[in-house]
Amino acid sequence: MKDRVVTTIKLYNYLIVPVQIELDDSTVEAMQRQILSEIEEKAIEGVIIDVSLIDILDSYISYSLSETAIMAKMMGCDTVICGMQPHVALTLAQMGVNMRGIIFAQDLEDALSKLVKAREHS
Amino acid sequence: MRDIKMEDYDMLVKINDERDIVVARQMVKDFAKRMGFSLADITKISTAVSELARNIFRYAGSGFIYIRENTGEEKEIEIAAVDKGPGIENVEAAVEAGFTTSKGSLGLGLSGVRRLMDSFFIESEVNRGTVVIVTKRRRTF
Repeated sequence: MKDRVVTTIKLYNYLIVPVQIELDDSTVEAMQRQILSEIEEKAIEGVIIDVSLIDILDSYISYSLSETAIMAKMMGCDTVICGMQPHVALTLAQMGVNMRGIIFAQDLEDALSKLVKAREHS
Repeated sequence: MRDIKMEDYDMLVKINDERDIVVARQMVKDFAKRMGFSLADITKISTAVSELARNIFRYAGSGFIYIRENTGEEKEIEIAAVDKGPGIENVEAAVEAGFTTSKGSLGLGLSGVRRLMDSFFIESEVNRGTVVIVTKRRRTF
């Protein structure tokens, strides 16, 4: 696929997305397109976006992540964000950013167990 | 409109391209780190600059981010975001949370910047441009 901007790992029916690049506006949009098309192609039921390497998340990038989660939900797929750094969480909360549609987890392991739980309840 | 002169500032980032938003926030991050801000404050300052740079790029197309260190009783970082874009008709509304004129936005840009920084000044004239000046004090514990 030519529009791939992030590496992804497929594990069972889950798609793990460790974000290891600096997210600018067009990259985050390309990432959204990539994730949605991989959900369709690989019949993904849950997406885990690992943001532990991200040290700046502004309102637009968090909006795009939240939008991606809502779109994924419409395709029958849950989205978990894991590994948010404490000062990033502090900054987003202070700005009043509310990321709808997203499940938050501490790390990959926690993300996987939350996804399994979310699938059981739906 | 307030006149911002380059010689009064330590650093300048030109915003011309979407990628300049990333350049601006990284440069401010390094600047704040050198000034000895805490990690939490560095993140707040860089996030604020990311919002200001995006506003310049989205609404004015191009502009400048000026950065300087103010020394006094307490050290502070001052950032000025300047553009000669269309200006803002209703400045009071624009700094309220949830106000936006573009889709794909939460309208948390300017209100978020105001919440993250210690002081916030905005001046805008329709068809002449916008100046936003923000500062944050370095807290010593």
